[in-house]
Amino acid sequence: MSYQFDWSVLFSGQSGSWLLQGLITTLQISALAWLLALVLGIFAGSFRTLPIGPLRWAASCYVEFFRNVPLLVWMFFWYFGVPPLLPQAVQDWLFDHGAEFWAGMFALGVYHGARFSEVIRAGIQSIPSTQFEAAVSTGLTIAQTYRLIIIPIALRLIIPPATNESLNLLKNSSVALTIGVAELTFQTRQIETYTARAIEALTAGTLIYLLLCLCIAALVSRLERRFAIPGMIVQMRAE
Amino acid sequence: MKQVLRVLLITVLLVGINESARAQTTLEKIERTGTIVIGTRTGSPPFAYVNKNNDWVGFSIDLVEKAIVPVLAKKIGKSIKVEKKESAPQTRIPLLTSNAVDLIAETMTDTQARRESVDFSITYFVTGAQFLVKKGSPINGIKAAAGKRIAAQQGSTNARIIRERVPSARLVEFPDQPAAFQALVQGQVQAYTNDGIQLAGLKAKAPKPDEWVVVGEFYSYEPYGMAMRKNESDFRHLVNVGLMDAIESGRYFEIYEKWFGKKGEVPYPLSAETKRFLQMQVVPK
Amino acid sequence: MDFQVILNNFGFLFFQGFLGFGDFAGGTLRLAIPAIVLAFPLGIIIGLGRLARTRWISFLATIYVEFFRGVPLVMVIFWFWFIIPNLLGVSLPEYGVALTAFVVFEAAYLGEIVRAGIQSVARGQVEAAAATGLSHTNTMRHIVLPQALRNMIPALVTQFIVLLKDTSLASIIGYIDLTKAAQIVNNREIRPFELYLFIAVVYWLCSYGMSRYAGSLERRLSAG
Repeated sequence: MSYQFDWSVLFSGQSGSWLLQGLITTLQISALAWLLALVLGIFAGSFRTLPIGPLRWAASCYVEFFRNVPLLVWMFFWYFGVPPLLPQAVQDWLFDHGAEFWAGMFALGVYHGARFSEVIRAGIQSIPSTQFEAAVSTGLTIAQTYRLIIIPIALRLIIPPATNESLNLLKNSSVALTIGVAELTFQTRQIETYTARAIEALTAGTLIYLLLCLCIAALVSRLERRFAIPGMIVQMRAE
Repeated sequence: MKQVLRVLLITVLLVGINESARAQTTLEKIERTGTIVIGTRTGSPPFAYVNKNNDWVGFSIDLVEKAIVPVLAKKIGKSIKVEKKESAPQTRIPLLTSNAVDLIAETMTDTQARRESVDFSITYFVTGAQFLVKKGSPINGIKAAAGKRIAAQQGSTNARIIRERVPSARLVEFPDQPAAFQALVQGQVQAYTNDGIQLAGLKAKAPKPDEWVVVGEFYSYEPYGMAMRKNESDFRHLVNVGLMDAIESGRYFEIYEKWFGKKGEVPYPLSAETKRFLQMQVVPK
Repeated sequence: MDFQVILNNFGFLFFQGFLGFGDFAGGTLRLAIPAIVLAFPLGIIIGLGRLARTRWISFLATIYVEFFRGVPLVMVIFWFWFIIPNLLGVSLPEYGVALTAFVVFEAAYLGEIVRAGIQSVARGQVEAAAATGLSHTNTMRHIVLPQALRNMIPALVTQFIVLLKDTSLASIIGYIDLTKAAQIVNNREIRPFELYLFIAVVYWLCSYGMSRYAGSLERRLSAG
């Protein structure tokens, strides 16, 4: 093999601090986008199960519109398409304060919100309708029923698929490099350009993503056991 | 399948090196296959790009086809096909080291750091970094970039220099030229820095070329070379002979005129100084 | 807005970029369809592997799934692009690299779909089969898999939609899919809005059409 490995590039010069900066940016943009996606997902997911036509229709439009177009295209939309619609002063402020980060965050959050909503809708639909009827018959309004009964149960039921979606969001944050967000993949490539060491840089990036995902998955599975509702979650285990 | 794959990945990750794969030199490969594979760009007019008829053409592709390939064909004694693959700043060196391509012919600057990984031909084009701004912008050079929002291309030498010399500039790095230019048009950034010739190309193609100006002294020196795998002096010699013959016979300047002349894609007259520099690289036969 | 640019380059965008007929290595559908077809058998093996009683088989299958689900696709594509030629000493064309990367990557996700499909088959079915004297292999082949495959169809279609959109990432290694074709035209014409809007509409039509199809399948299956 013609390739000579030189792992020292990862520890010399600025490589280490770049990787760290990249990791922090990845975590920041993912965390903010995750919150946005969760809020949008809960609203859209609940609306789609309501017996109120206009709300259901609006939520369906949102979901179908956003999740059926590649994230890459949405990145360009939020970064290049939206700012010209804002007042000049807001534009200037945004451009001076990391517009690419916020555009990337919105792109990720809104796109994954549409995907989250499908998970949440499935969660709500898997709750026996007797729960809903019982809650309404005690005198709760529909909004109260959703807020106090349905959504708390649904959120616990959907922990496994929601974790998958969250990890997808984390990994998809790498697409933000197309609009200049200096996240982890961006920094991995940066190391490559400064040191001409592609495979070492790539290995470092891959391992960091892998560790991050495994840690989150492990953390969530502990949470899942803690929040499990007895009798409602069938633990599916490999034989 | 999966076990095999896993073992492969782990072998590479942990053990790294085995010496079985590389058995032939580039020249032997070209002789055997009758093909030279070059790595080049699809979006760097006029060096290498896909034109209106969707043909992959450009100045550096012409140099390979009209200057280097004839020399190789003469040496090997049979005709040679040119196969083009896309290369980008992040992929071009791995493309070479993994044998996927034999020669990088695009806007690649010859640097000492890169020479640790690959070998370069003689310099075939000289440029330097400048700024593209809207007409009337206060930015007129690298000093004025302080505190401003500057776009650069990811992985370029320019981004690195800006970061080191003007740390107060807010640098936004884009993966490709159109994204950076779009950001300049809309005001996300106040200037876009790249090699002067690439900015001239961008300006020439812009919907309203008069609105844009290329400003500033060259704040970097960007000599373009063609890159090859390391330690293959036979092959490198032939590539150099191809370029030197073209410069000496004047064919280089014909090709230059076609792309950069008054009627070319991007008018960019050759300075007497650069012409002299190119000619001085030609060693006697 | 000037949509002339779309009309002028429609042949390149649609036939070269979307379908894959032309002089360049490329095509969104030319990558997505073989990728899902080839990844599916591998996914079945992995899904079965995860449920296998033999410890080391299920361990290997789990590692495979967790590895590829923990890494961004962009990274996997890079790995294949750089490593296959280094190991084998031959260079694969972009199409081969992209296809291999997608098959290997998608197989991990399909494996999970297969596993969930198998687990969705009621326990009683397996027990009943065992009671009639069928071996474990025969139970899987004749009882569990046919039902599981049917249950999986909607999830498979959904995964295909994801795959279709993900093929845009193959442009990184110079594979000319729809997104890359639009970028190439944009490099020359600088008309990002019109071009990105156009490809967004194309992706949207495909994805939405298929997700409607998946939805109707789901309803038909749950009714049946």
